[in-house]
Amino acid sequence: MEDYSSGDDDDYVYSDRDSLDGLENEEWVPPKGSSTKVITRESLLAAQKEDLRRVMELLSLGEHHARTLLIHSRWDVEKLLAVLVEKGKPSLFSEAGVTVNEGADSSLPSSSSVMCDICMEEVSGDKATRMACGHCFCKDCWTEHFIVKINEGQSKRIRCMAHKCYAICDEAVVRNLVSKRHPDLAEKFDRFLLESYIEDNKMVKWCPSTPHCGNAIRVEEDEFCEVECTCGLQFCFSCLSETHSPCSCLMWELWIKKCRDESETVNWITVHTKPCPKCHKPVEKNGGCNLVSCICGQAFCWLCGGATGREHTWSSIAGHSCGRYVENGEQKTERAKRDLYRYMHYHNRYKAHTDSFKLESKLRETILEKVSISEERESRLRDFSWVTNGLYRLFRSRRVLSYSYPFAFYMFGEELFKDEMTMDERELKQLLFEDQQQQLEGNVEKLSKFLEEPFDQYPDDKVMDIRMQVINLSVITDNLCKKMYECIENDLLGCLQLGTHNIAPYKSKGIERASELSACWSNKSNTTDKYQPLECGTSGGTSENERPSGSGSSDDSGCFSRKRAKKDGFGPSFFDLNLPAEGIDRN
Amino acid sequence: MQASRARLFKEYKEVQREKTADPDIQLVCDDSNIFKWTALIKGPSETPFEGGVFQLAFAVPEQYPLQPPQVRFLTKIFHPNVHFKTGEICLDILKNAWSPAWTLQSVCRAIIALMAHPEPDSPLNCDSGNLLRSGDTRGYQSMARMYTRLAAMPKKVRSVELLQVWHGTTIQPSNMLS
Ligand SMILES: [Zn+2]
Ligand SMILES: [Zn+2]
Ligand SMILES: [Zn+2]
Ligand SMILES: [Zn+2]
Ligand SMILES: [Zn+2]
Ligand SMILES: [Zn+2]
Ligand SMILES: [Zn+2]
Repeated sequence: MEDYSSGDDDDYVYSDRDSLDGLENEEWVPPKGSSTKVITRESLLAAQKEDLRRVMELLSLGEHHARTLLIHSRWDVEKLLAVLVEKGKPSLFSEAGVTVNEGADSSLPSSSSVMCDICMEEVSGDKATRMACGHCFCKDCWTEHFIVKINEGQSKRIRCMAHKCYAICDEAVVRNLVSKRHPDLAEKFDRFLLESYIEDNKMVKWCPSTPHCGNAIRVEEDEFCEVECTCGLQFCFSCLSETHSPCSCLMWELWIKKCRDESETVNWITVHTKPCPKCHKPVEKNGGCNLVSCICGQAFCWLCGGATGREHTWSSIAGHSCGRYVENGEQKTERAKRDLYRYMHYHNRYKAHTDSFKLESKLRETILEKVSISEERESRLRDFSWVTNGLYRLFRSRRVLSYSYPFAFYMFGEELFKDEMTMDERELKQLLFEDQQQQLEGNVEKLSKFLEEPFDQYPDDKVMDIRMQVINLSVITDNLCKKMYECIENDLLGCLQLGTHNIAPYKSKGIERASELSACWSNKSNTTDKYQPLECGTSGGTSENERPSGSGSSDDSGCFSRKRAKKDGFGPSFFDLNLPAEGIDRN
Repeated sequence: MQASRARLFKEYKEVQREKTADPDIQLVCDDSNIFKWTALIKGPSETPFEGGVFQLAFAVPEQYPLQPPQVRFLTKIFHPNVHFKTGEICLDILKNAWSPAWTLQSVCRAIIALMAHPEPDSPLNCDSGNLLRSGDTRGYQSMARMYTRLAAMPKKVRSVELLQVWHGTTIQPSNMLS
């Protein structure tokens, strides 16, 4: 305690400041190490190019081959390289449908003539196209084939038309032929290729905001994490629902469903009430007697629902003589009741904390108001960062606390882990967890109470006291949250044999906000140079050439200068995704 | 649309020319609709389908040859990859392995090959598939042969064969006919 009133506490307070600023300011500076990146419509091309460039350089390939390989390996460069080492280049290439054919020329002399096996027409050489795999068909047939495939949504992997040829058609040829007949479809083709970076990439996902903010989020290494998009939405990267740690995605999905149906409540009502034979209102049985009476005055038999006075007499009801008593039914009632009470126990606490969270979020304004009032006052106290820090800690731990209830509901329930633990084990673990949960709960409530105090009206020494309490409780709750996650990881989920329940890790500083990918653009701007427009003729022939930046083959250099000039004018606003990639280059 | 018509017309002419070349396949185009074809194929030798003639119906899509034709057996056949009731055929080239380079003629050849080499692991006819998978080749063959005789052979032969099936005799059809 002493420590906190001396200078040391400032260290602590400041150490947390970075993340706390995010709550106040619109302009939030992403921490330098932020590994999650937001990919805007504008930076999608750049993001894709980053990976393309790596593969192009490592394997000395043209862009379209690199793209085919990356689509095949779902944009996982590491996996691609691992497969390359393991299986070797020829095997990887044939699996992915890449045919690197040196010296092959897609155009044929017009003097020659070719028999197209598709339309069975004899066509002159200039009306036919030979793909890198060597198969040659007339341009009309190729075009029709591409159109059918693009319309089928298969842009990303259009295979050669020849029987048993698994080569993926050169995207430049596709783009070129299709755009001549259906420019809009060529655009669609390009957009599919571009969006493949998101659609086929397990580390990149569209932000689930509605209306859609247009962004995608890319994470590094761990896909089981919670992220914040620049649009402000926080979500679970894995299941795209709201953040729910320490619940696993499956737990959360089940919980949401349960809360939505309130199936148990319905169940309970059907088990615990019966319609009155006279007015048909549901009547609840209270007490053990099977003779129930409705508010309308009608008495009836609980067991069979029949009105008394006809089949039943008072005495026979008391003796349960109607014979409808079913042992099984009674058990079912007991079980349904027990399950419901269990659910209600967890749900009430979950609900109480989410409600508190909402309430406290509203209170935030008034509390910050108090801060500004206090700052105005003649006082030796100047620094009120402890309030914002404390508020932030309160929000953080309140969320952990509320989601810890659905977690416990499934962790110690029978639905998911029935066979994973013995009854004794379960009980022991539950005690361990609940002890931590209660400690956290107690401290969170205390923290909340202190922050709600009207400190702006208190004398300095009392404010100092509150400050100390808040700082102290902030540290305690943070530590308790950490401990709870450790317990979950080591003692609870860590022991399970079956099922994978990945939990987004606890971060003291809160959910990391994705940083703009555009930051990478400037220092890797030469990636644009790798972007070969169709006319540069990357198809087939030049793919085996080494392609470090700036040293393209002679016919490439023309493209460079044009591209550079264009890039300068374009500035950091990048490309318009709604334009075909080819069109962008010509803009 | 125009392209598919043109291509089918080419195939039609090709078929006329090849008629003598492939005695196992007889492709016939519907008089009024070039998108409707039927084929008569001979059951491959040394299979339970030997001696049978099977009729296939082709429904050609307008996107042909970029999309595969729909083919089914009109003649009843006991084969793991043919639906016993509908005659639907489970064959990769008629689905995702289709290549526009295939023709109706080559599809017929592929179906003949399928008759000789059934794929019991993707059965449309489970009874048939199960017989093969359990290793009961004889059971499969006798069932397949029975249906070939019942459905895919000229009437005269069939009635004789029926007798044979019912009475378990070993009279050769040729003996009976002569
Ligand atoms: Zn053609
Ligand atoms: Zn090919
Ligand atoms: Zn967003
Ligand atoms: Zn999730
Ligand atoms: Zn009533
Ligand atoms: Zn009763
Ligand atoms: Zn009764």
